[in-house]
Amino acid sequence: MSFDLNFIGILIGAIMASSVPLILAASGELITERSGVLNLGVEGMMIIGAISGFALMVVTDNLFFAVVGSMLSGLIISLIFGLLTQSLLTNHVATGLALTIFGIGMSAMIGKNFVGIPGKEFPLLFVNLKESIPFLGPIFFGHSIILYFAFGLPFLTNYFLKKTKTGLIIRAVGDSPTSASNQGINVTLVRYSCILYGGAMCGLAGAYLSLIYTPQWIENMTGGRGWIALALVVFATWSPIKVLIGALIFGGITILQLHMQAVGLRIPVQLLSALPYIMTIIVLVVISRDSRKIKLNTPTSLGQIFYKEK
Amino acid sequence: MNTKLKVTEISKIYPGCIANDKVSLEFGSGKIYALLGENGAGKSTLVKILSGVVKPDEGEVFLNDESIKLNSPLDAKKNNIGMVFQHFNLFETLSVFENLSIDNDKKDEDLRVLVNDILKKYNFKIDLDIPVLNLSAGQKQKVEIIRCLIRNPKVLIMDEPTSVLTERETDDLFISLKQFSKDGILIIYITHKLKEVLSLCDEVAVMRKGKVVSVSSTIDEKIESLANKMVGENLNTIKKKINNFKNSEQILQISNLNFKSDDPYETNLNDLNLSLKKGECLGIAGISGNGQNELFQILSGEIITKGTSIMFRNKEIGKLNPRERREYLMAFSPEDRISQAAVPELKIYENVALNNFKSSNFFEKGLVNEKKIKEHSKKILSNFSVNTNNVELKSQFLSGGNLQKLIIGRELITSPELLVCFNPTWGLDVGAINYIHETLIQINEQGKSSILISTDNDELLKLSDRICVIYKGKLSKIMNADTVTAEKLGILMGGGSID
Repeated sequence: MSFDLNFIGILIGAIMASSVPLILAASGELITERSGVLNLGVEGMMIIGAISGFALMVVTDNLFFAVVGSMLSGLIISLIFGLLTQSLLTNHVATGLALTIFGIGMSAMIGKNFVGIPGKEFPLLFVNLKESIPFLGPIFFGHSIILYFAFGLPFLTNYFLKKTKTGLIIRAVGDSPTSASNQGINVTLVRYSCILYGGAMCGLAGAYLSLIYTPQWIENMTGGRGWIALALVVFATWSPIKVLIGALIFGGITILQLHMQAVGLRIPVQLLSALPYIMTIIVLVVISRDSRKIKLNTPTSLGQIFYKEK
Repeated sequence: MNTKLKVTEISKIYPGCIANDKVSLEFGSGKIYALLGENGAGKSTLVKILSGVVKPDEGEVFLNDESIKLNSPLDAKKNNIGMVFQHFNLFETLSVFENLSIDNDKKDEDLRVLVNDILKKYNFKIDLDIPVLNLSAGQKQKVEIIRCLIRNPKVLIMDEPTSVLTERETDDLFISLKQFSKDGILIIYITHKLKEVLSLCDEVAVMRKGKVVSVSSTIDEKIESLANKMVGENLNTIKKKINNFKNSEQILQISNLNFKSDDPYETNLNDLNLSLKKGECLGIAGISGNGQNELFQILSGEIITKGTSIMFRNKEIGKLNPRERREYLMAFSPEDRISQAAVPELKIYENVALNNFKSSNFFEKGLVNEKKIKEHSKKILSNFSVNTNNVELKSQFLSGGNLQKLIIGRELITSPELLVCFNPTWGLDVGAINYIHETLIQINEQGKSSILISTDNDELLKLSDRICVIYKGKLSKIMNADTVTAEKLGILMGGGSID
């Protein structure tokens, strides 16, 4: 019995690990979107983060540089998006799509020389506790520091948005950039900052994939997770806590359906593979069905170009 | 403490229009100043300059004889100039308190005490912790005012504050404004409503085409004198000669019009019958939402109803779409200028081209004949005295009056036999209203017919030859205009019956 319980603990630990990139990317994008900017380049920023993290690890042999470097590269690529949409006033949707295409191509080009190189072991915390406590051990211990950070992030984000002045200003800009500007808020600066933060978080999400989750470089290794993160933000109605729930459900059902496939249940594989997407959407729609709350959480100016009257 | 605000030689030029032309004005505390002018006279630009939103090209602003620079809204705040915009600058999804705290450096607790004091002092009743989107327009305006009051303003500018208020809310606002004035705040009140100037303000400056044309005390003014100054000419009172159309040819006949809608927000129409003669104006009165929208759309062909017969110039046109109906010389001016009649992001000539039909020759072999459209547009602009000659201007930069002139002009320049218009003067200033009314009378005099669907009874009584009332999707008996009074209309509009 204790073995079974321990197995479930390990399973939960695995689910948590698989949802980390989604939580990181979605939490970052959530802040960006809350300021009224729709950046569809999440997938592109993630994969740039993944390759630059891995490449830096190989080149410098230093995981710290790799992680910080991946965030910086996510930030730099999101700066391109910021320059285009905020300073040159291009369309958010088109620019974001271009960013994704650019990111995927760029990462494949850089990554050519890094295919097949084995990754480095990423230090895991509290490994002893993981093994000595059944069930709870594998859930709470033996993870990388990034996982702990990711699980704290939605709560920090929630607190930041609801309780701090800066959070209030971001929400105000997302609600009505014109009003914010008339109140003397520098809308462009706020939106730039939110874009850069989102970029850094997407970069980190990518690095988690290439350094920890599957420590190697494979072309296109984000595999659509950026798009899932984008969808999570919308279906979670811009609530950080619901993003966490959504990411866990998605990660959970992904892992479970893999096990179900392995067991050989008589359910079509295609249906099982589609299950995470379907279930995540259903659950998030159900928990977010309060239309009043949706209205209050939705950044009214999302995707709108803002320019100041002179 | 006394506050003096002075602007000298302020100029602001936008492409295609001089918004402010060497404007000089002086204000002192203890009085309420009206800044009066038609839409597009430059009032809003001037107050945007005073609140730091827009930078003037030339000129200076003095506060208590000291020159101040207003490069951003922050500068206006620093100089204790408060501003309540016509379109609220609130964050709808944030709570009232969050809206107040966003640009305030005070601690939340201190701010709450201060706000509660203000609420008590001026007898405002607002829940601070509900989102702004749940407030009425009057309450939202109070939030804006409180936001200014928190900063102990020396100057409070109100830009067309009553355009969104009910009568009751307007009364409340006036009481508050008088109280602020007594407390030593200099109040500048921007409006185009003449009655408000006389009932609220002490001094009035009239602006026209970017210039200040008159400064006077309101005691010396009357509604007529202000109206004439505002428009710049003596407004002649229009009165239409009511004709007898017994022998005229019938042009339109609608029988047994029924419309049942699936949309719960639309009104069903029941058994409408009407007829119209050449040169006649038929007025349709009613409180909005009684089926006017649906009736207009059925007339214009936006809604096609089965089994309805619409005979126009002896042809059955019930199944034709709006474009085909225009080919038969019908013309339409919808209620909503911005979203139904014109596309605000498009240039003037592009909006003109939207009204194309075969005979207009705007398009040849699928290509746009830009030259032709532009010539045509220029003709409209000059024939219908639209206040610009730049056909490349985006329509959103036209004031309501000018846009309406453009729309009516676009319809009329092809000399249609019937013009259907729906609230053509809604939200316009006196000058533009007068112009539109004159135009509508003119087309009747030329032997063309019109149907005027309007919620403005004065307008209907002024322009119609015959009038009926629409109530809950049904038309009343059609009466000759000379037998109709405003009282009669009122009874019918409320669902009562006369006779």
